[in-house]
Amino acid sequence: MSEAQTKTSVFTQNPNSSNEVVLEAKNIVKRFPGVVALDHVSFNVRKGEILALLGENGAGKSTLVKILYGVYVPDEGEIAVEGRRVFITSPLEAIKLGISMVSQVPQIIGSLTVAENIILGLSKYGMISKISRVKEFIREESKRTGIEVDPDIEVWKLSYTQKQLVELLRSVILGAKVIMLDEAITFLPIQEKRRFYEFLRRFVGQGGSAILITHKIPEALEAADRITVLRRGKVVGTVDAKKTTLDQVRKMMFGERSSEITYERLPPSKPTEEVVVDVEDLWVLGAHGEYAVKGVTLEVRAGEVYGIAGVAGNGQLELIQSVIGLRKPVKGSVRVKLNSKPIDVSKVGIGKIRSIGVGYIPDEPLKFGVSMENNIEENLAMLPSITNGIIRWGRIKKLAESLIKDFDIKTPSSKTKVKLLSGGNLMKVLVSRELMVSKKLLVAYNPTRALDEVTAIMVRKRIKEKALNEKLAVLMASEDLDEVLQVSDKIAVMNSGKIVRVFNAQEAKREEIEKLMVM
Amino acid sequence: MKMKLIVTRRVKPLRYGGVVIPLLSLIIGVVISQLILWAVGVPPELFYGTMAGSFIAPEMLRPFVLLTILGAALLVAFIGAVWNIGAEGQIIWGMIVAAYIGVFVAAHSIKVPLSELPKYESMPGAQVLDATYGVVSVVLWNPVLAGLVMILAAAAVGAVWAAISGALRAYLEIDEVASTLIMNYIAYYSLNQLATGPMRGLSVQAAQFGRTDALNDALRFPRLPIPGTTVTTVEVILAVIAFVGVWFMLKYTSFGLRLKILGSNPNALKAAGVDTRKYITLALTLSGLIAGTVGAALFAGDYFFLGKIDNIVSPPTQNMGYTAILVAWLAMLDIRAIPISAYIIAGLMQSGATLQANLGTMAGLSGMISGAAITYTLIGFVLLTFSVLRVLTEYRIRFVRGGPK
Ligand SMILES: Nc1ncnc2c1ncn2[C@@H]1O[C@H](COP(=O)(O)OP(=O)(O)O)[C@@H](O)[C@H]1O
Ligand SMILES: [Mg+2]
Repeated sequence: MSEAQTKTSVFTQNPNSSNEVVLEAKNIVKRFPGVVALDHVSFNVRKGEILALLGENGAGKSTLVKILYGVYVPDEGEIAVEGRRVFITSPLEAIKLGISMVSQVPQIIGSLTVAENIILGLSKYGMISKISRVKEFIREESKRTGIEVDPDIEVWKLSYTQKQLVELLRSVILGAKVIMLDEAITFLPIQEKRRFYEFLRRFVGQGGSAILITHKIPEALEAADRITVLRRGKVVGTVDAKKTTLDQVRKMMFGERSSEITYERLPPSKPTEEVVVDVEDLWVLGAHGEYAVKGVTLEVRAGEVYGIAGVAGNGQLELIQSVIGLRKPVKGSVRVKLNSKPIDVSKVGIGKIRSIGVGYIPDEPLKFGVSMENNIEENLAMLPSITNGIIRWGRIKKLAESLIKDFDIKTPSSKTKVKLLSGGNLMKVLVSRELMVSKKLLVAYNPTRALDEVTAIMVRKRIKEKALNEKLAVLMASEDLDEVLQVSDKIAVMNSGKIVRVFNAQEAKREEIEKLMVM
Repeated sequence: MKMKLIVTRRVKPLRYGGVVIPLLSLIIGVVISQLILWAVGVPPELFYGTMAGSFIAPEMLRPFVLLTILGAALLVAFIGAVWNIGAEGQIIWGMIVAAYIGVFVAAHSIKVPLSELPKYESMPGAQVLDATYGVVSVVLWNPVLAGLVMILAAAAVGAVWAAISGALRAYLEIDEVASTLIMNYIAYYSLNQLATGPMRGLSVQAAQFGRTDALNDALRFPRLPIPGTTVTTVEVILAVIAFVGVWFMLKYTSFGLRLKILGSNPNALKAAGVDTRKYITLALTLSGLIAGTVGAALFAGDYFFLGKIDNIVSPPTQNMGYTAILVAWLAMLDIRAIPISAYIIAGLMQSGATLQANLGTMAGLSGMISGAAITYTLIGFVLLTFSVLRVLTEYRIRFVRGGPK
């Protein structure tokens, strides 16, 4: 690849994107008990392009790529690679055919080093490569992307971002022609996402192809060449990313319901004088023993949505965790007043407030939010604020069913293990449960991440309604500035562990906040 | 260059594996054992004949019942990923307090002039333990009350003994596998100290062998009226309570549900506001509580006195606290499978013993091989097959050549 090509292909559309189809699916049908996940789906990916696969939560995106990756076998339909019909019955075969997948959950093995993981992958597929070459490649790509990865470090020591890069590098070394990313970078802050998009650009510039699943339409418009939209298991259509608009894609994704999408500020709630959360001069250590929160003071009143904006990694996470009582502060206090007497959370920990009606939407929902091996009902019953002592499953089932209906959670039944749900539906289980148990206070971190736009806006409206009607206090940090602007009554900007400024929502200006975020 | 063994979990475990794998293991394990025992001279007809008979022999009822209780006890801890290797110690302490109550509180031994012995012989509630020294045991409590108190006290002390390891793990992060194991030996040692010291009895045997006086006949747990078995009604009731109780707890209580989640996703539990350290402690406590009751059953239903353990490898628990680990494991931590797996293990134990006896009487090969050796061969191969099948069905294994560090 020439120098000139690299430069253009990183930042703009790939001029080499040909019409040569590498991977094609024809009339794919896949049924699960109670749902038709894919209903005669046909689409293709061309050599040298990034194809975005969009669709609301539960549309069938993951099922489709899992079929291409050999995790599921389709009930009907055909798959062709470079024009030749293939039968992909396992990931092993998919990789041999040059199809690889990176999902939300890293699959690499924690106890091995990065290089060992890659060598392991190679030997599994009968490929051989010199370890020194592999290491060299990792170092090079690490430098190019700006995501530091030492090939000799054990994987468990890596951050999520680093792991996902290793996953991608592994795919490339395994000779992938098509890399499929199933919400693989959903949990990353935007700056890091950009690095991945640049990486993909380079990859397709060299003749590879990528399928990108995301629920952020603007990102798809920016990063992809074409966009295929799925809706309720059917293909709505495929459009050229450069010739379409946000609105058109939204309509394709959500149909009528796309009119529900709005980023206008939701009507302000009417806070009372009652202070529910009182944080005073809080100092909290981060994961590496450095101060992540440096002297934060804030107050959240009943009926108020207090939003914290900031670039990920500026202490929001640690602040949220210590307000809910999962992380002990070094200095300062967190007092939560639910009844008449304030509870000193920094002393008593999370248990007390959670059991008497504080909702919590955590970061890393798959790890902290739900128990993947358990079903929806059990994920409700596990909360001390929902059951204590004997579990009346009849009651829990009704609760679960009402949440399923209310939040339109796509699941065969309330007894389905949550690990079988699509990412968005899993998130809905968590969010709906926490909104339900929030009596006085909701503490949240990225509450709508992994939700499609319509659902995300629905959730924001619910939060706002609860603040307005039930005088719920909400303390929320989000990496999504749109979200903070839309729901908050007060907006605090956090930077380097400090709250640099607090705005009343009416006075908040986007540009000003953005400046404060990166200053 | 170095090699690494990599084990990863399969995405989709085998269907019906919970039933098929233990049964298949039983069959394959028994066949392998037979072939090996055949090689050392055990006739196949005798082997299979005895095996078949052993699984329906009334003698196996008692180990079956006790292993069901202990299997349920261990499952409570294991399901929360808390490894209770200390059932032995918990049983031993159960025996000690049951003995204390049975011999010193609910009844007591007195020394009487030999001339008065005939008076005691005919007195209800009194039992002459030793006619040469004039030692008489006199019942002070109603036997039902005494039995109940023995069981409850044994349960309580088993719970406390286990709770120590639980708290160490939960609050000081001291590995419970090591601590429960060490505490077994402390328990054996305590028993020896007590039986030969403060709890030593008055009778001639007690003085001679360093043990407590025997439990008064009136306080002994009655046997089930089935010829050939030594199982007591109390043990059967305990097994039913333990089984149904644990099943109910896991299915219908928030405690049980959270215990399961403690084993699979402790982080989610913490974020839900559950104190996982408390749960770790409670898991071990409850496990020890159930195991402790077996101590009372052993004392008042089988041994009737507490004697010094001469050989540490054969304590009065008959090592059932360890055997029960196999039971829980063979049941794949499914409470419904505990009785089945207890039955399999008890049947294999019985087979070993009967086979040894039959070798002597039927084939004239007595002393050729010990019953214990046969039992261990059988259990060993069944569990080996089980492990292999489980690993093959649930995990993928491969070797990797890694680069130099
Ligand atoms: N293993 C499974 N068993 C049952 N239902 C499933 C399974 N996987 C997906 N589904 C269902 O199929 C539909 C499509 O899911 P999915 O492909 O994960 O959606 P998404 O577009 O959000 O990735 C959903 O209704 C989901 O609940
Ligand atoms: Mg998905």
